[in-house]
Amino acid sequence: MCYDLRHTTVGKGPSYVNIASVIEDHPRDAVAIIANAEKVTYGQLRAQVAQLRGALAQEGVSTGQKVMVVGENEHDFAVALLALLGLGAMVAPIRPRNPLPEIQRKVQAVEPDAIVWCHSAAELRDFEDDLLCGKFLAIDDLESAEAEPAPIADRDADDLAFLLLTSGVTSDSKVAMLSHGNLDWIQQALTHDPETGINADSVALAVLPLTHIFGLNVVLFSNLRAGGTVVLQSQFDVAESFRLIREHGVTAISGAPAMWQRFLHADAPDDALGTIEHAAAGAAALPIEIFNGIRDRFGVELAEGYGLTETSPVVTWSRGITTKPGSVGRPVPGVEVVLVEPDGTPVEQGDSGEIVVRSPGVFKGYLDAPELSETVLTEDGWFWTGDMGVFDADGYLYLVDRLKDIVIVRGFNVYPAEVETVLIEHPNVSGAIVVGTRDEADGERVVAHVSGTATEEELDTHCRERLSRYKCPREYHFVDELPVSNTGKKLRRALR
Amino acid sequence: MGLPKDFHFEDAADLPGSERISRAGYATLRRLVDRLWDVTVEGIENIPKEGPGILTPNHLSFCDSVFVPLSLPRRMWAIGKGEYMDSWKTKHIFPALGMIPVDRSGGDAAKAALDTAAKVLQGGHLFMIYPEGTRSRSGHLHKGRTGAARLAAHCNAPVIPVGHKGTVAVQPPDTFMMKPRLPVTVRFGEQMRPEQFGDPEDPRVLRRFTDAVMFEIAQLSEQTYVNQYASKDDTPDMAIPESDQPAPISVPPGRAKAVAPKLNGNGSTPKISVPKGRVVDLTPTAVDPAPN
Repeated sequence: MCYDLRHTTVGKGPSYVNIASVIEDHPRDAVAIIANAEKVTYGQLRAQVAQLRGALAQEGVSTGQKVMVVGENEHDFAVALLALLGLGAMVAPIRPRNPLPEIQRKVQAVEPDAIVWCHSAAELRDFEDDLLCGKFLAIDDLESAEAEPAPIADRDADDLAFLLLTSGVTSDSKVAMLSHGNLDWIQQALTHDPETGINADSVALAVLPLTHIFGLNVVLFSNLRAGGTVVLQSQFDVAESFRLIREHGVTAISGAPAMWQRFLHADAPDDALGTIEHAAAGAAALPIEIFNGIRDRFGVELAEGYGLTETSPVVTWSRGITTKPGSVGRPVPGVEVVLVEPDGTPVEQGDSGEIVVRSPGVFKGYLDAPELSETVLTEDGWFWTGDMGVFDADGYLYLVDRLKDIVIVRGFNVYPAEVETVLIEHPNVSGAIVVGTRDEADGERVVAHVSGTATEEELDTHCRERLSRYKCPREYHFVDELPVSNTGKKLRRALR
Repeated sequence: MGLPKDFHFEDAADLPGSERISRAGYATLRRLVDRLWDVTVEGIENIPKEGPGILTPNHLSFCDSVFVPLSLPRRMWAIGKGEYMDSWKTKHIFPALGMIPVDRSGGDAAKAALDTAAKVLQGGHLFMIYPEGTRSRSGHLHKGRTGAARLAAHCNAPVIPVGHKGTVAVQPPDTFMMKPRLPVTVRFGEQMRPEQFGDPEDPRVLRRFTDAVMFEIAQLSEQTYVNQYASKDDTPDMAIPESDQPAPISVPPGRAKAVAPKLNGNGSTPKISVPKGRVVDLTPTAVDPAPN
C-alpha cells in the first residue's frame, strides 16, 4: 500500500538556507515570544540573538562546531538556539532536569565542542568536572559580554542544524542528525497550509519541551517563521497552562496525551480552552476516551498526527480533514508513505506493514553510527521507521505498534499496544505495559505489567472477553509505577 | 460417527441448486460420502439453526468443498469458478453442493463475488469462504484474508471457524480420484463476530478479527500457522519463515541494511489504485525541498 502525494502543492514562500533566519522578516513591533510575563518583539529578539551570536563567536564558537545547549522552555533558551544556529553550529539541545548520569551519557554521545548553560541549568555548572567537554559557557556571561553583533552564517540545505537525542523507546543515546533543509521543508509544509493555523495571527503555547523535535520545529520554529507569537511554559502545570491560555489568548496548543488527560480532568470552566482554534496531540497514541472527552467538555477537536525525530517530525496529520478516531490522519503533502513487508514488498490493501517514509524532512543519519544508519536509511532516501501501520480505504493511517515489540505466540502476531489498550479499559487499571517472554511451547508468551488495584482474576476475565485467546496475558506483574520516557512513551524495553 | 442425520435441505429459489436434479444429487452425495468415508463431525451445535453464518474452513484439498458442505445440518452456498459449469463432471454436482458460479475473468470479479456472498447472507443462508484464498500446498495454515471479516461486518453475520483434517490423504493435490475408506474429521468452532474486537471501520479491527478466526481454525485443524499468504509456489516441505518465529528479544534492527521499497520490479512507475477511484502516478517527480 503506497500513498504518494507529491503532486500536491506544498506551497511557495520564502526559503531560509539558515533556519535561524526565520525571525528576520517580521514587523519589529510584533510579539515573537512571551515568557514569564515578558513580551519580546521580533525587533528585540533579532537584536538579542545577534548580540549572542557575537558573544558566542568571541568565545570561539564557530560554524561546524557541535554545541550542546542546556535549558528549559524559557526565553534565553530560545535565544541561544537561534544564536547558535545562526553561527552555523550543530546544536544539541537537552533539558537540565535529567539526572546527572543521563546528562553524562548524552554528552558522551554528542561529544560537544562546547556546552552552553541557560539560566535554568545554572545548578549543573557545579558538575562541569564530571562532563567530558573542553568548553563551558554560561548564558549570564554571554548576555552581559561586550560583543559586536555577528551576522548569520550561510548554510546549505544539507548542512546540519540539530543533533537531537531521540526520545525513542528502543535504545539509548541515538543522536539524529537533522539538516537546515530538513527542518526548513517541514516548516514550509506547516506554514503554507492554512489548515494548520500557524500564521502571523497565531499564538502558540509551547509546553512541549523545545528539546523535542515537535516542540522545536512545529511549535517554536514554525510559529516564528510565520510571524506568530510563542508563549513559553517551562514546566507543565494545568492551572498555569489555563492561565497562560486565558491571559494571552492562545490559539494553538500541542501536547502529549498525558497532558490532555490532565486538562480533561482539571478543575476549570468548560470555556477554559475558548480561544483555542487548533489543538493537537502527539508523541504517543491518543486514547479515544481522551479525544471524546476533550471534544465534549471543551468543544475542541484534537488533531492527531504521526512523526518521528528522524522525519523532522511530521509524516501524517488530521488537520483540515475529517478526523477518524484511532487514526493519525493522512500523509502530509509531499511525504511518501509506503507500508512494506520486511523484504520491501508493499503490503496488500488493508494489511499492516512497516511504515517507510521518504520526504525532504528525512534526517541524515545517526551521529557517529553509520552502520546503525544503514539499517534504517536507504541511499535513495527511504527511512524505515520501525513502526507498523495500516491504511484504510480512504488513505488514513492507523498505527499498530513498534515492529520490534511484536510478540509471536504460536506463529500469531500479538501487538502489545492492543493488549495494553484493553487492560487500561479496566476501571481499576491505571497503566499497563505488555511485553513478550520466551515460552517453550508457544515460542513466546504475553506478559502484562500493570499498575492499579485490579486483581489477576479480574484482568484475566476482562481480557478473555475482549481479546483472542492467544493475546491474553499469561503472566501478570503488579507494579506501583510503570517506566515511561519524558515525553510519555512507554519504555517496554525496561521490562523485558 | 458419520454425517449429521437431521439434515435440512434449505431451499432458496433465487439461488442456484434448488432444482430437482440438485436435490437428488445432494441426497446421493450424502449417502455416498457417509458410506465411503469415516467422517467425524464435531461442534455441530455451533451452526446456527437458522439465519446467516459464514463458514471459514482451512483449505488443503479439492475435496474440502465436498466434506465441509456435507457435514452441515443445513445447506450452504459458496462461490465457485464459472468454468465448473462447462464440464459435465461438475456442472450438476457443484450446484448441488451450493456452488454459485461467478465469472472470475472480468474486472469486477471481486465485486461480483462480494455481491453474491452478500445476497446469500442477507437471505439468511450459510455461506462458505476459504480465508486462505487458495489451497495450502505447504500443509500449514496460512495468513487469512480479511474478506470474511468484511462480509461479517457488512451483513451482520457470525463467522464460524472450521478446521478439518484427513482430506489431503483422501485426495492429494493434483489427483482426481478420492481414495475411499479413510478417516476425515470436520470441526466447527464457536461463532465469532467482528464487533467483539472493536469498530469494524478501523482497518486494524478487521485484521485482529481475521487473525482471531485463523487462530481458532489452527486449533480445530491442528495445523501450524504461518503468517504469510498461501502461494501456489509453496511446497509441502516448506520451512516456517524466520519472520514467523519469535524474534530474539531486545535485539536491535533485524536488517543489516535497509532496502528501498519494491514499488515495482524495475524501478519504473507502478500505478497503485488509491481510494475513491483515483490513480496516483508514482513517477518520481522533482520535489524542490526548499521552494521559493
